[in-house]
Amino acid sequence: MWDLLNNLAFGISVAATPQNLLLCLIGALVGTLIGVLPGLGPVATIAMLLPITYGLPPVGALIMLAGIYYGAMYGGSTTAILVNIPGESASVVTTLDGHQMALQGRAGPALAISAIGSFFAGCVATVVIAAAAAPLTSIALLFGPAEYFSLMVLGLIFAVVLAKGSVVKAIAMILVGLVLSMVGSDLETGAGRLNFNIPELADGIGFVVIAMGVFGFAEVLRNLEVTHSRDIVQAKITGLMPTRDDLKAAAPAIGRGTILGSVLGILPGGGSVIAAFAAYTLEKKLAKDPRRFGRGAIEGVAAPETANNAASQTSFIPLLTLGIPPNPVMALMVGAMTIHGIVPGPQVMTKQPDLFWGMIASMWFGNLMLVIINLPLVGLWVRLLRVPYRLLYPMILIVCCIGVYSVNNAAADVYMTAAFALVGYWLVKHDFEPAPMLLGFVLGPLMEENLRRAMLIARGDWTVFLTRPISAGLLIVAAILLIIAVLPMIRKKRDEVFVEEG
Amino acid sequence: MAEGIGQPTGGQSTGLIRNPQDFWGGVALTVFALFSLWAGSDLPGLRGFAFGPGTAPRLFGWLLVGVSLIIAVNGLITQGPPLERWGIRAPVLFLASVVFFGATVRPLGLIIASFFTLMIAAAASKEVRWGESIIWSAVLTAACVALFIYGLNLPLQLWPR
Repeated sequence: MWDLLNNLAFGISVAATPQNLLLCLIGALVGTLIGVLPGLGPVATIAMLLPITYGLPPVGALIMLAGIYYGAMYGGSTTAILVNIPGESASVVTTLDGHQMALQGRAGPALAISAIGSFFAGCVATVVIAAAAAPLTSIALLFGPAEYFSLMVLGLIFAVVLAKGSVVKAIAMILVGLVLSMVGSDLETGAGRLNFNIPELADGIGFVVIAMGVFGFAEVLRNLEVTHSRDIVQAKITGLMPTRDDLKAAAPAIGRGTILGSVLGILPGGGSVIAAFAAYTLEKKLAKDPRRFGRGAIEGVAAPETANNAASQTSFIPLLTLGIPPNPVMALMVGAMTIHGIVPGPQVMTKQPDLFWGMIASMWFGNLMLVIINLPLVGLWVRLLRVPYRLLYPMILIVCCIGVYSVNNAAADVYMTAAFALVGYWLVKHDFEPAPMLLGFVLGPLMEENLRRAMLIARGDWTVFLTRPISAGLLIVAAILLIIAVLPMIRKKRDEVFVEEG
Repeated sequence: MAEGIGQPTGGQSTGLIRNPQDFWGGVALTVFALFSLWAGSDLPGLRGFAFGPGTAPRLFGWLLVGVSLIIAVNGLITQGPPLERWGIRAPVLFLASVVFFGATVRPLGLIIASFFTLMIAAAASKEVRWGESIIWSAVLTAACVALFIYGLNLPLQLWPR
């Protein structure tokens, strides 16, 4: 217990330096700014804003990126409530009651309760992370290569199960990511692989290149084809604060959402979407009059918003303790850490305690700042929503171009990004979901390394993954998940979850 | 999924390939996987139980071949929406602007490269208004210089050398 408090206090001392506070504030602000723009979810936002952290010290850079992440998540909820466009998949559920509230002239309370719920969830989740980090890290140290490999398989299967659309296509996307991650030189022998002796490919394909091509640029290409019809709530937002009755109704929902979200967020694969949906369903089940849901029930905003924020924060746990990104946003964080020369994993806590605890403490500051900036700025975000897309996309373009170029000062990276934009465009046209590909790309080298070591230690015995109990357990869970996902009856249910996303 | 403007109205495809999105998607991924296998065919593989540089790429490549074929076959036996038509103007001009940036940022410097990149990109939208685009490109260029050069000290050339 004292350890926990000491660690948190140390973290706060790192995060509360004026520079880091400022970075956290800028991150949250810029994240919200970009996240509010339609069609830019957290992944695209972080990919786009990565370059502005290049020149910072690692702690500051990660604090800022974490701020961007929360900001983007919050921006997504704002668009969900005001425009009925979910900024990211986790806020799909928020549109159901949030937009109804907005249409009834209660956008203010909806936005406020979403901020308050998120802040409460953020406070609890920060403590959960701090408390869970140390024990999980010691478990992580017991993991051998076989366990790591199985854990990554489980993580990828989770991502497949939770991706929208076809399971087989999501698996294919992961494999494409794995194959792409093999380009470059082999870690153990130094042999060049799949690089056609092109010097620019000798170090492999850059993570930023793929992320910006497939998420940033391809998204723009897709949006340029769609005529935007935006159903913006035109009525002036008055009466920002929720009434006493609102708070009374929302409080238990916030509590339950926090618990549900914190637990589901730890699971690899995109817990925040499931958390939001589960929290909404739970509230509907518990409600005295379920018919109010979908017609502007405040619990229907409070619960999913709280749960998705709790989950998006606890999803840092697998990354910080095991070094395994559980979702594409965390995969981006791995990319960012790598750029700053940090290898994510259990050793971060012991070797770079300032980074580890500073980042955790900054999450709390980030959430506090979101409440402070967002409530007075709602009017500004609404105005931002009216910026026409023809002014928006050149901004995305130039920031991404400069960002990609400045990683290595290489024009070849810019050309490759253009190529991946085309790939991303093609994927959309054929209804492939690109997020699992990014996850596969990040996990590829880790999986190869651990598979290789496991086989070497076991002297080529493939059954090692099934004879070691932890590894076998993880693989069995993965297999069960996969079977469940393919079963038609449950598939149908699952499609219902994502049906609003169209 | 976004509905493209060029998407033909009316539901399902008919003929032999009833789910062309999946069928051609699977075929293209199979080709990609086979290509990666061919490209890595010269890499040494397993030696006893030690992985060679070629083992993992081959493993992932063959798995991808298998999964892609399932998708392609699935495209033959299930019903699905027809292929979405590709835009021409937006992809061509937008990607051209990206390539232009890569080609000119070193020789011409950030300011000239950014401005013309933004102008090419502006033409990608059907809603382009030229007067507005010129002003907006200039504003964005200035903002980028302020942010990346003065704010973040990135080592980029400003003007032609």
